[in-house]
Amino acid sequence: MGFIRFVAFAVVRAWQGFWRNAMMSLAATATVVLMLVLLSGLFIVIGGLNSGLSFIESKVGVTARLRDGLTDSQVQNLVADVRKIPGVKTVDYVSPAEAMNRLKQAYEERGETLNLGGASITLYASLEIGLTTPDMGAQVSQALSGRDEVAQITTRQLDYAKLLNIIGVIRTVGIAALVLVGLTVLFMIVNMIRIAVYSRAGEIEIMRLVGASDSFIRWPFILEGILCGLLGSLVTIVLVAVVWDPIQPIMVRVFQMPTAVSSQFLAVLSALVLGVGLGVGALGSWISVRSNLASAN
Amino acid sequence: MIGVIERPAAAPPPVGEPVIGMVDVGMTYPNGKAALVDVNVSIPAGDFVFLVGPSGAGKTTFIRLVIREQLPTAGRVTVAGYDLARLRRGQVPTLRRRIGIVFQDFRLLPSKTVFENVAFALEVTGTPRSEIKRRVPQLLSLVGLHEHDDHLPNQLSGGEQQRAAIARALVHDPAMLIADEPTGNLDPVTSWELIQLLIQINAMGTTVLMATHNQEIVNAMRRRVLALEQGTLVRDEAGAAYEREY
Repeated sequence: MGFIRFVAFAVVRAWQGFWRNAMMSLAATATVVLMLVLLSGLFIVIGGLNSGLSFIESKVGVTARLRDGLTDSQVQNLVADVRKIPGVKTVDYVSPAEAMNRLKQAYEERGETLNLGGASITLYASLEIGLTTPDMGAQVSQALSGRDEVAQITTRQLDYAKLLNIIGVIRTVGIAALVLVGLTVLFMIVNMIRIAVYSRAGEIEIMRLVGASDSFIRWPFILEGILCGLLGSLVTIVLVAVVWDPIQPIMVRVFQMPTAVSSQFLAVLSALVLGVGLGVGALGSWISVRSNLASAN
Repeated sequence: MIGVIERPAAAPPPVGEPVIGMVDVGMTYPNGKAALVDVNVSIPAGDFVFLVGPSGAGKTTFIRLVIREQLPTAGRVTVAGYDLARLRRGQVPTLRRRIGIVFQDFRLLPSKTVFENVAFALEVTGTPRSEIKRRVPQLLSLVGLHEHDDHLPNQLSGGEQQRAAIARALVHDPAMLIADEPTGNLDPVTSWELIQLLIQINAMGTTVLMATHNQEIVNAMRRRVLALEQGTLVRDEAGAAYEREY
C-alpha cells in the first residue's frame, strides 16, 4: 500500500509539474519528437537498405559467358576447374537451350510471348557461379579472366559494394545527427527539470523539513522527465504509423529493390522509439535531479 | 480561539531525557568564521527554552545543527536519541519527523489552502489519505484554525498563518518544536496569543526551543534561557530574563 501511495503521489506531482511549466515542458517534448523522428527515419532507411543488401547478397554471383563451339568435355573440365577456385560455392552450366527457355519464361511472366519473327537465334552458354560470400566476386572473376573458354565475365559485385558504401555513409551521418540531437534533447530536459526544481524550491524545503524521504522529493522530477519522453515517443509513434503506408512504395521506388518491410518491423520500431524516448527522459531528469538536488538532505 | 487540545497519538520521549545534547560543539565555516565555539547544552524532554542573542550570535547555526542541515566541525550533537554525525542519509527524514519547525516568515505554500498546507506535510511522507483526513482537522482545531481550513494563506492574518505553520510542524507529533523568531512578524497581542499556543503544546509534553529577540516575552515567561554571543554560550539559566540580571 505504501509503495502504491508513493507511486500515485509521484505520478500526480509529475503530471502537475509538467503542466505547471507547460511552455518549457512542451518545448522539451518537441525536441524529443524531433530526435525520435530522426531515429525512426534512420531506422527505416537503414532497414530498407539492409533488406536490399540481403536481396543483392542472394543475387551476387559471377556469370561467365562461354565462347561458342566448346565441346562437352571442355565444358566439364572448365566446371571442374571453377569448382576448385576459392570462394566458389556452386557452379551451374546453362546451355543455350536452357537460356532460351528462361528467356521465353521471362516473357510469359510479363504476359507476353517471345516473337522472333520466324528467325532462329542461339543464345550463349554460360556458367552461373554462386559464391561463398558476396565479397569473393572480384577474386573469382580474376581467376576466370585467364581462361580461354570464357568470353565475358559479369558480376553484381559493384552494386553490392556501392550499397554497402551508401549504408555506411547513411549510418555514420545518421548516428552523428542522432547524437547531436540526443545531446540537445538531454540539455532541454536537464534544463526543464532544473527550472522545475528552482520554481518549487519552497515546496522542496518544506518537504525536507517535514521529513520527506529522498524518493518522495526526487521521483516526481524524474517522472516528469520520463513523462516528457513518453509523450514524445507516443507522438512519434503516431506520426510514423500515419506515414507508414505511403513510405513503403517510396522506399521501393527510391532504392529499386524490395524493402521487406513488415508489420513486425513497425512493432520493433515502435518499441525502439518508446524505449529511447523513455530512456532519454529518465536520463535527462536523473542528471538534473542529481546535480540540482544533490544536497536534498 | 484555540480549540480543544487532544493528546497526540504517539507520546514524546519521557520528561527528563535530553532531547537535544551538544558536547563541545564548534562550527567554523569555510571562510574561517567561527559561528559556534565549544557549546555544551542539554535540553531535557518537556522543557521550554528560549534561545537569545544578537544577530550573528549563532542562533541560526544552532538550529541548523539541531535539524541536521549542517554538521558541526567539532563536538557531538544528539537529537531525540540520534547521534547526528553517525546518522545515515536515509535516516535524516526519520529525524526530521521528530522535529517540528516554524519560521518568522511562516513558509506556507501560497497556492494551497490551510488544510492542504498541513496535509502536504503528511502526503510527502506517505501517510494514508484516511489518516490525513483524520489528523489535519485535529491539528487545525488544536491551533484554532478549523474554521479557516479552506482559506489560502494570503486570506489569513499573520498570526493565523503562523498557527497554520505550527499545525504543519506538529503533523508527525514531534518530540520537539523549534520556533525561529515565530513572533518576529506579529503585533504584540498576536504574539502573546501565539505564545499561549506554544505553552499549551509544551504542556502536552512537546519540548519547545524558541529563538527570539522579543525581550518582553522572555522576561514575562521566566523560562530557561540560552544566550549566545559571538558563537559562545554565555548564559544557560533557568527561570531567567532576556538580559543578565546579576
